Amino acid sequence: MPEIFIDGHPVQAEPGQSVLQVALANGFYIPYFCWHPALSVAGNCRICCVQVEGRSWAEISCNLPVTEGMRILTDSDVVREQRRATLQFITLNHPVDCGICDKAGECTLQDYHYAYNGRPSISLEPKVRADKFHALSGRILLDNERCILCSRCVRFTREKSKSHALGIKRRGDESLLRAAEDHALDTDWYSDNIIDICPVGALLSRSFLYKARVWYLQPVPSVCPGCARGCAVDLWVRKPQWRLKSLAAKQNTSIMRVTPHGTPGIDGPWICNKGRDLARIFERPRALQALRKGQPVEYGVAVVAARKLVADAKRAVALVSNWGSNEQLTAFRDRLGTRFTVYIKHDHMPQSGEPVEDDFLIRADKNPNTAGAVALFGARSDRAAEFPADTDLVLVWGEGCDFTRLPRGVKIVFLNAYLQPENGHADVFLPVTIQMERPGHYTNGDGVVQAFVAAVAPPPGVADAATLFAALAASEVIPA
Amino acid sequence: MPGKQLLMTFPVTATSHTLDDYRCRDGYATLERVLRQQTCEDVTREVTAAGLLGHGGAAFPAGRKWSVVNLNDGQPHYLCANADEGEPGTFKDRWILENAPHRLLESMLIAAYALQVRHCFVYIRGEFDLPYRRLAAAIEEAYAAGYCGERILGTDFACDIVAYRGAGSYVCGEASGLLSSLEGKRGYPRNRPPRLTVQGLYRRPTVVNNVETLANVTGIVANGADWYRSFGTPKSPGTQLVSISGHIARPGVYEVEYGYPLTKFVYEDCGGLTGAAALKALIPGGISTKVLTGAECEGVTYDHQSLAAAGSSVGSGGMIAIAEGTCMVRLLQVMLRFYHHESCGQCTPCREGTGWMHRIIDRIVAGRGRPGDVESLLEISRRNDGTTICGMGDAAGYATVGILAKFRDEFDYWIEHGRSRLMGKLEVGIDA
Amino acid sequence: MKHLIPEFERLKARFPAGFESSLVLPCVRRIQEDRGFVADSDIDGLVAYLGVPRIQIEEVLSYYTQFRRTPVGRWHLQTCRNVSCSMCGAERLIAHVGASLGIGPGETTADGRITFSTVECLGSCGTAPVVVVNETYHESMSIERLDALLRELG
Repeated sequence: MPEIFIDGHPVQAEPGQSVLQVALANGFYIPYFCWHPALSVAGNCRICCVQVEGRSWAEISCNLPVTEGMRILTDSDVVREQRRATLQFITLNHPVDCGICDKAGECTLQDYHYAYNGRPSISLEPKVRADKFHALSGRILLDNERCILCSRCVRFTREKSKSHALGIKRRGDESLLRAAEDHALDTDWYSDNIIDICPVGALLSRSFLYKARVWYLQPVPSVCPGCARGCAVDLWVRKPQWRLKSLAAKQNTSIMRVTPHGTPGIDGPWICNKGRDLARIFERPRALQALRKGQPVEYGVAVVAARKLVADAKRAVALVSNWGSNEQLTAFRDRLGTRFTVYIKHDHMPQSGEPVEDDFLIRADKNPNTAGAVALFGARSDRAAEFPADTDLVLVWGEGCDFTRLPRGVKIVFLNAYLQPENGHADVFLPVTIQMERPGHYTNGDGVVQAFVAAVAPPPGVADAATLFAALAASEVIPA
Repeated sequence: MPGKQLLMTFPVTATSHTLDDYRCRDGYATLERVLRQQTCEDVTREVTAAGLLGHGGAAFPAGRKWSVVNLNDGQPHYLCANADEGEPGTFKDRWILENAPHRLLESMLIAAYALQVRHCFVYIRGEFDLPYRRLAAAIEEAYAAGYCGERILGTDFACDIVAYRGAGSYVCGEASGLLSSLEGKRGYPRNRPPRLTVQGLYRRPTVVNNVETLANVTGIVANGADWYRSFGTPKSPGTQLVSISGHIARPGVYEVEYGYPLTKFVYEDCGGLTGAAALKALIPGGISTKVLTGAECEGVTYDHQSLAAAGSSVGSGGMIAIAEGTCMVRLLQVMLRFYHHESCGQCTPCREGTGWMHRIIDRIVAGRGRPGDVESLLEISRRNDGTTICGMGDAAGYATVGILAKFRDEFDYWIEHGRSRLMGKLEVGIDA
Repeated sequence: MKHLIPEFERLKARFPAGFESSLVLPCVRRIQEDRGFVADSDIDGLVAYLGVPRIQIEEVLSYYTQFRRTPVGRWHLQTCRNVSCSMCGAERLIAHVGASLGIGPGETTADGRITFSTVECLGSCGTAPVVVVNETYHESMSIERLDALLRELG
């Protein structure tokens, strides 16, 4: 364990670490653009310079291995001057169009300019113009003027997603980030990560383009339900104090974007594009009306009807949702578990065009909590053919159940969150909440339990399934 | 000839580059003796003792570079001859490739034996067509004669040599950029550490030596370190192939023994300047070495120490003589255009700085210079010195700082009056 | 490009195993000699043959000045404009080529015979100025010799 000194303070380093890694691990900040903890060292931005005591020059710390007794200065005059000069170079042809840049507010270049440079450009030359809104893929736009050619995105596609979808073409100050002409980026299921790791506003998400200034948004910790990997994500929604009447109601409550939460060990700092598109799952048209044989009824009336069906059933089968949280699944087991033969339903199956499984993050089970459900109910198949012959009631919780394959003549109590044709075919239909409207926990495919919190309030007229289970088991009707 | 010769020891004829002619000059006799009688260590020891310096620009001792390679690490090692001669004003390695390709090959085989290399490469710049054809033909001759391939000269030593052509990129002359190119990629130079002798081509230990450096190995191994040290000066042993061009009466490639008087070389061996003009300035070793004024050349001897004392260096041996009357502003403009054109664009200071400097000097030449422009050029140069991945950023700065330090008045005049004091002339003695 | 594969195989035999990536530059050069430029289909063929990512070949083609993805004229006339050549009259040569052919650097004559480019140092400084036609060096050029050369190409 080499000991080195950073700005005079002794710190312990691991052999093989760079000065930058040791500094960051010990609370000393050194600025960096091109370096990324999960990617190879490129050493091209030159902003992470430090001075080794006794040397007259500054050198980059990301590629400087620690040696015993090394004495590092992170903020000497030499370092400060070199950093300022490097920022002058980086901003030389940068458009500084922060006013219309989605990255403003979370831009490394912006932060460093204020922290380490703070001066207007000393250049008198006109800026070199380059492409704006260059389409890298169907999902990502590139602003070549903002790009500082740090190559993080290129390295991501080579080292992580392995699509080799990006490269830098031409050379010198005419260098341009470009997508491979075989459109590999369009089939890179992890492509949107490059938007996050871009230290400037060069890579832009088409779905987030000009939708909101980031300082009006807040991240809400959540878990991606897209597959059994259960990547920790942040759902970005408008801060409550910035919800404006002048905006459409949807804009005040919708998921503006999804980013990785960066839980060590599960997904690292990456998520797949399906996770980016959680709005496509969560913001489908919602079921907001309780139904009895397809006819709208008061919620309480529907609950009473459902409770009666449960009470009258001789042989009741439940298809529980593996999108249910551990709390909801436990509520079902505690309240209704003894009355039902329980099968775990796989709410979502792989969609056509969706990768089933890979050796990076994506798992074949497209549901977030199969492991949690199995832990409570065992791994029984949900195939209707295996239902007991005398089944007379099926409680279906969640999507993905084909009613035509249920035994003929059974009564159906259906709990679902989305507006779907099956809703009207149930004897009783009860609308329920979705993940982003309640807190809970999922157990992912590797047995890791993770929490999510409510990002928005549930719409009126829907109930948390956990509450409903209590209501169905109770002798009194509990209002929704 | 300027002193004694090591390499240009035979008359160049229509056939002097062929194997037959090379054999008449004792060709491949040294290789045979080494393979039969010497160990790897013997060779490296001799090269180290000879004090052979790199002839490509950085003058790094070849023996020291070689000795970093761990012969017992159980992994492949590679040897690469750097024939990407791209430093403007330099065309000396071209002479070896065109006239003595077998000398290079024999030296490479000896070096490969010393470094336990199975595969050697000659990375030759893409524009060199005749040199490539001569080299490729020599390689085929060597294979046919059993000097290359399996069981060389009946011994267990096996070695392949590939001539690999670049495709137009100055930074591929930098050793790590060269290896990136040799891996079939853009010629992006690499950060050190790791050193190339630790992780080079495909992350294996790789020795990259200049063509002329390697070409000297045969002579050193054949005749011994003491013999080599009898050439040149104690600290700069041997000779340097110097290519001289510009306003010079007899341009071409000369073999200059280190320690030879610089002005004697220019005025006597090369016939002085075109039209007997006065020497305004001399670029001693490619445009990336700092320019010397005519006065500064007085008393300088052609060796590493004397040129360093004068504020410049041997560089790549590409000497450019500049006659009185030449406009140094236009000269620097041509240089900065070149650096801008050749920056690979990988790291920030060089990518942005070379273009910035080019635009500033273009503006000065267009008559729109402003006070402070010279200071900006100096500041950008300073911020490129030692801050880039490879030496190209430094090089652009050296060229700029060298000229600005000595000919600043020409820049100030152009900025103040909007025109050149010397009518922007690069040619002299011609009424253009 | 497929008809060149036997040649590529011979080339490959000289390289150590695992050096497929290194073959990008020589293969691209050979394709360009064959066709005059590198077509999209050549890139596809090379990707399939060498097993390298397509982007690597695209990067290489755009990085090196000698490679091109569009055809040039029958004769590619390149004039060096670096220090030694400029000091020996290259700028006058460039102006003269432009005036004689009626095109600027980077352009091709209307009849498609000559493409004219300026290039940086070609390593022929001692015989400056130098003009390269396709692969052949024409050294120590003067206006008169250039006129003769242009007549020959014309």
